[in-house]
Amino acid sequence: MNALLALTGANIRSYVRDRAALFWTLAFPLIFIFMFGLIFQGGGPGRTTLGWVDQDGSTGATVLRETFATHETIALEDGDEGSALDRMRDGELDAVIVIPAGYGEAVAAAEAGSSGPANVVVYTDPSRTNLMASVYQVVGSVLGVVNLGGRPPLVVPQPETLQTENINFISYFVPSMLGLSVMQVGIFAAIPLVADREKLILKRLAATPLRRWQLVGSNVLMRLLIALVQSVVIVGVGVLIFGVEITGAWPLALLFVVLGAVAFLALGYVVASFAKTEDSANGMTSVIQFPMMFLSGTFFAIDQMPEPLQAVARVIPLTYLSDALRQVMVGGAAFAPLWVCFAVLAGWLVVCFGIAARTFRWQ
Amino acid sequence: MSITDPVIHVRGLTKRYGETQAVAGIDFDVARGEVFGLLGPNGAGKTTTVEILEGLRRPDDGEVTVLGHDVSRGADALKARIGVSLQTAALYPKLTVTELIELFRSFYTHRRSTADLIEALGLGERRDAQSQVLSGGQRQRLAVALALVNDPELVFLDEPTTGLDPAARRSLWDLIRGLKADGRSVLLTTHYMEEAEVLCDRLAIMDHGRILEMGTVEELVSKRFRERAVRFDRLDGLSKAELAALPAVASVTEDGDEVLLYTNDVGPTIGALLALAESRGLEPRDLAIRRATLEDVFLDLTGRALRD
Repeated sequence: MNALLALTGANIRSYVRDRAALFWTLAFPLIFIFMFGLIFQGGGPGRTTLGWVDQDGSTGATVLRETFATHETIALEDGDEGSALDRMRDGELDAVIVIPAGYGEAVAAAEAGSSGPANVVVYTDPSRTNLMASVYQVVGSVLGVVNLGGRPPLVVPQPETLQTENINFISYFVPSMLGLSVMQVGIFAAIPLVADREKLILKRLAATPLRRWQLVGSNVLMRLLIALVQSVVIVGVGVLIFGVEITGAWPLALLFVVLGAVAFLALGYVVASFAKTEDSANGMTSVIQFPMMFLSGTFFAIDQMPEPLQAVARVIPLTYLSDALRQVMVGGAAFAPLWVCFAVLAGWLVVCFGIAARTFRWQ
Repeated sequence: MSITDPVIHVRGLTKRYGETQAVAGIDFDVARGEVFGLLGPNGAGKTTTVEILEGLRRPDDGEVTVLGHDVSRGADALKARIGVSLQTAALYPKLTVTELIELFRSFYTHRRSTADLIEALGLGERRDAQSQVLSGGQRQRLAVALALVNDPELVFLDEPTTGLDPAARRSLWDLIRGLKADGRSVLLTTHYMEEAEVLCDRLAIMDHGRILEMGTVEELVSKRFRERAVRFDRLDGLSKAELAALPAVASVTEDGDEVLLYTNDVGPTIGALLALAESRGLEPRDLAIRRATLEDVFLDLTGRALRD
């Protein structure tokens, strides 16, 4: 037990000190989540796409448009109110600004002091709080320029809300990303394993009283720990930054993370059985992980793939891991019933374990 | 087993890899407290022999007993009592000296303290350095430290100084002498003659999976060579036949730019050599007389120099 824990600790230390391994396990999935989160949610530090509806046509309205257009984080798309709101509903626009008819005159009147400030209508989706905040921040800063010196203000925003049919891609994406990361943690075990064999470390360990089950056990423990840390980080970012709502049962999600990690670790041992050098292990893990990544339904819907690719998707374990995690965590639509997901992953585990047990060489 | 039994007992050991006969039937014993050397070129079968003794490989045939354990019946109990340093220092690159020693200590029940080992192996200043930044000599010392964590009775060192600079080699030699002083038995392989001469109480010269000769350095040398060797840089004007015809010369060997005359009587040989050279207007350069060495024994046994 002492040896098992000491070796697990040694593995973890080596892992944490390896920048490349850390990148793939933590930074890589987070980069994906942020990238897709921002693409599909807008907001954040990127550009904000505003629908621009000018119902006034006065010089004042044109000046205001120019002021918005020169703001570096804003992209403007002109249109009429109906189509702009439709596009916002579909998620193509982050917000819509409507300049009501009579705006030019209202500004002139406000300037003369004969009436209150003119209104511009700002449509946002209150369920997308981050985006809403960033839109108002931008609008406020632009109107601040227009209002400079005017006191009381000449133009104020008139808030309107619009419920968008945001399919909440990010909610679908976070569990998928977790599945992907668990896959990598497992398969990538092949690389240090082959490296240790090449460096005769495995042979050196074989010359001590250490048992093989302790060696494998320490590897399993370490990989499970990494998978759990990943789960916390990925789900944490999803929940705290992108507002993903986790609806399902935690223990069941955990069960699938553990089963998936162990199944992919067994696949990693299979890779390590056939790879003679660290470089070939690197190549083989890439050959396995990239098709899985793209065919497992994470980036492209499986039912829209050509039939031969669908056949592949129905076999690879990542499809079932990600599908199960989506079902359990965010109530995603099922590709296969949970028990099928469980059975397929368990099947992969048994088959890979059997192959590795026969072919893996320690020296 | 009693205190007088050999710590290693090998009879008729053979090991074959496919077509290659790595070890072709060897016999030897190592006594308790002895430093025993396996000397031979790369591919002689030294490492295979050592790995069988360590319980890492199964012999095809033969009787192999180490510390009273029959290695062909499993070596688990044996592994707790021996110390092993492989041909390359097999170290996790990103772990520090202290971490590696602690890790290996966790594998054993009987063990020395980490502080002791670091002190004894002179690794104090590098205790927190990752193994990947250590010098070659420090890595080897660490590998030896790992071989000593369980305070073993018998230590296997496979080519412990290969690739080290002379200073690091000498410091490792001191360390190995220390193991003997502690009462441990040591089996070491090497392809350095000087190392074998300096360290080994007895040694076996191996080539092509066989032991060609075995004994103390003195025995090996005097058995083959009662002669002294007269060496000088090759002189183009003197033929090998002329040199062989000089008085008291037993044999002549040319190895690269070096000529060796093995003579039963140094005085007449040198006198005749100088006279012959002078008559041709030549002068033998770097002329030296020495006792025959292991290098000469190996050259004589195999017809080639060990260092090649």
